[in-house]
Amino acid sequence: MLDHTPSDMPTTNRPANAGSSLNDSASRLDGPAKVTGAAKYGRDMHLPGALYIAFVRCPYGAATLDSFDEDAARAVPGVVEVEVRGKEGKFHGQTLGRIVAESPMAGKRALRALRCRWTRKAVRTSIADSVDALPEPSDRASSALDGAELKLEAVYTTPVQPHSCLETHGGAVEWKGDKAMVYASTQGTNAAREGLDKHLNLPQSSVEVVCEYVGGGFGSKLGGPSKELQAAAAAAGKYKRSAYGFSNRSEEQIDTGMRPSSQTLARVAFTKDGTITGGEIHTWGGVGVARGGGGCNVRAGRYKLGIKKAGHEDVGHNGGGPMPARAPSFPQGAFAEELLVDEIAFACGMDPLALKRKLVGQDVYREMFDLGAKMIGWEKRKATGSQTGTVRIGYGIGTASWHSASPGGEAAVVVHQDGSVEALTGTQDPGTGTRTTMGIAAASSLGVPLDLVAVRIGRSGLPRGPASGGSSVTPMIAPTMMDAAEHAKEQILEIVATAAGAPDARAFDIVDGVITRDGKRHMAWADACRRLPAEGITARNRGRAANGKGGNEGVQFVKLSVDAETGVVHPLHVVAIQSCGRVIFRKGAESQVIGAVIQGLSNALFERQVFDRNVGTVLNDNLEAYKILGPYDMPHIEPVLWTHGQTGVRGIGEPPLVATSGAVACAVFNAVGAPVRDLPMTPDRVLGALAGKGGRS
Amino acid sequence: MPEDPKLHRPVARNEGTRLVGEPGGPGGPGGAGGVSRRSFIKTVGVSAAASSLAAAAQGAGVLGAHLDEPEAKGSGPAMLGPEAANITLNINGKSTPVRVEPATTLLEALRLHLSMTGAKEVCDRGACGACSVLVDGRLVTACMLLAVDCIGSKIVTVEGLASADGKLDPVQEMFIKHDALQCGFCTPGFVVASRALLNTTPKPTLTQIKRALSGNICRCGTYSNMFNAVLEASGQAPVMDQKGA
Repeated sequence: MLDHTPSDMPTTNRPANAGSSLNDSASRLDGPAKVTGAAKYGRDMHLPGALYIAFVRCPYGAATLDSFDEDAARAVPGVVEVEVRGKEGKFHGQTLGRIVAESPMAGKRALRALRCRWTRKAVRTSIADSVDALPEPSDRASSALDGAELKLEAVYTTPVQPHSCLETHGGAVEWKGDKAMVYASTQGTNAAREGLDKHLNLPQSSVEVVCEYVGGGFGSKLGGPSKELQAAAAAAGKYKRSAYGFSNRSEEQIDTGMRPSSQTLARVAFTKDGTITGGEIHTWGGVGVARGGGGCNVRAGRYKLGIKKAGHEDVGHNGGGPMPARAPSFPQGAFAEELLVDEIAFACGMDPLALKRKLVGQDVYREMFDLGAKMIGWEKRKATGSQTGTVRIGYGIGTASWHSASPGGEAAVVVHQDGSVEALTGTQDPGTGTRTTMGIAAASSLGVPLDLVAVRIGRSGLPRGPASGGSSVTPMIAPTMMDAAEHAKEQILEIVATAAGAPDARAFDIVDGVITRDGKRHMAWADACRRLPAEGITARNRGRAANGKGGNEGVQFVKLSVDAETGVVHPLHVVAIQSCGRVIFRKGAESQVIGAVIQGLSNALFERQVFDRNVGTVLNDNLEAYKILGPYDMPHIEPVLWTHGQTGVRGIGEPPLVATSGAVACAVFNAVGAPVRDLPMTPDRVLGALAGKGGRS
Repeated sequence: MPEDPKLHRPVARNEGTRLVGEPGGPGGPGGAGGVSRRSFIKTVGVSAAASSLAAAAQGAGVLGAHLDEPEAKGSGPAMLGPEAANITLNINGKSTPVRVEPATTLLEALRLHLSMTGAKEVCDRGACGACSVLVDGRLVTACMLLAVDCIGSKIVTVEGLASADGKLDPVQEMFIKHDALQCGFCTPGFVVASRALLNTTPKPTLTQIKRALSGNICRCGTYSNMFNAVLEASGQAPVMDQKGA
């Protein structure tokens, strides 16, 4: 096999105009716990004497539970409770009952002993099953299309893609008689506590949620306690014992939320120079049994297409409901939009880079295009459809936009007499690096080394912090944490100034853990802290947090190879330029960009939940048939943190994911000369496109 | 309900157990420990009479195919099951008693019975590598092995990679340095798989690293940092190091 990684290329590039990050060298504070296996996730909390939850689930897309043998299930050794509450299943994985058992094995045996008998019903498993015909163009669009120099009508689709968190959804409850500790796997530590008091029959003040580590969430662990955790809490409250409720892998893939499927219909009229003169865009979202949540955001501030979005419709089918999925609705729309623009450029005989330069709304995109084109080697790109060999190389461009959050929430910084520091806020770290980001924010504003700071997050009862969603945590709580740290610094310097008999504390500062006076060394940090009161000082944020200028734009360039005989697409090189404001934790920020690109590549090339269209059962509710990009599929990825002129803090978790799948689609189009308008771009679809069949399957 | 893979374990699934160490090579079989095919059949066969492992016993020739050391170590084949039995496992150099049912996997024994939760349960069918451990030097997924299958073997988990005084394995140090982890749930599996690679291939190429780690899945997307970590842990320059600024 070829080694696709050019060895002379750096992973990390910072443009010459980049500002410095607050900390370039810091490593993740929880790294040692995670690499040694010492980190205890909720899923790891197998408590002595705990009860285990197993769910009775519908195995088909739609079915009625005709009969079951409750007595046999109850007779299985170790079974405590069998409860079947519903008879009508509307998707594969829907919970219709539960088993409470002394061990996971007893629960599994009880499910088998239950011997459920089902009558299947007709199912709909896709948007196409529910949308019979494409809508007629509006009068306005019709007149634009009728008189057009050139026109294009195309349908783009993306599949259901489950988040596939490696730590499944759920929680463990430790029953302590008059109180309960809840070890939840959640993106919202405080939200995860809501309602558990009623299940546990304890006052809310006696229910503490602990969420030190979270094995991935990507949006699916937002929004209150999961049903698995609620079931565990109910069992704990009823039997006054510890309880454990986590989904297994199959359940995780089919009933914990997913990125909804989408369909985009574009009808565009344009001139030979690439000027769009009219048209319309319809979008649909496949939302399973949910009522909404199927966004497909085609125009999110990237290109000025100048055509109206004719409407969006959420379409139900026999599948699990969606949950916010890393940049919800954005990648689906961006995939359609990027490929649409490239198809227009092709029809006009234009370089898509030139057309995209023309259509983008902001100059920063053009600057990013220039840098990215140079880094990827755009000048080596061959005209779309001009290659004839077996291995064909394609280049593509994707763009990203996002929004920011304002400072908010609460944080506290505690400085102890021994000089150690605690930074507290009620948020959590689902892999985003938030723990380390908070530590660096506190340490840098206080003026002390990071290793003095212990970060306290992931517990209820801490100062109110944000849920991990919308890439909002860092822009919200980092300035707030800095505000609290500056407040602590002022209090310490007052004490130091008073002790020195100085009239004005403003002559003092803390730099790299040393107290200075008029810029010269005054005393050691440890000596200053010895003057603090016995309880140390606790400083809260004072509402002075501000967030300066910053952007959320991104541009990605993808280079890939397509094997024209097998249809296999292999990504070779990705340049990911991402505006993210002032960088706090550089290694973590780069990892977020790399991770988003990898998820985007995986979404573009591999991931698709497959339903049996006759019975509605999900056929790949596992991790071998639901393919996720692995080490051998890896291209060379260069993250570029674009900090030019930016003083404010911005989030970076989601925006880089927006650009990737569209860039891949454009690169495949460039390589093979025909668009693949359906994700994932699997070999059969690529071969279909090559054979001139439009790539649909 | 979908069939539970653990109750009806198709025999062929055990072929998913990854064997990184080549026979006779460093880290490969032929070292200490091991369970003979004979003792394995006896061990499993007894329990199979009364359990759903009957299919496994019929296929024991296949099951035992990668465990065919010439002789059993220790005091000969034990007669276990069908009830839970007390066994002793050698984990990270310590003799560790544990009471397990014959159908209990090594992963369940570690996580449920011994509170050793470094190895993670993610796919529970050998597809993701999150529960990777070393058994007699070989890289295996602990969800695909029965605990009784490991009697007499030397088991090393992620908790056993650091030295007794707490000094981290170079792989662990470099994973931290290169930020080769995000949520961290796949990390123990990747660390163990990387250690297994370096045991057999002290200076792997980037391609060898990619191939060796291909039994593992990371959902956050951290692979390139892992490649750098393994390169530097093996005394090589990270291919994709920072050159900007």
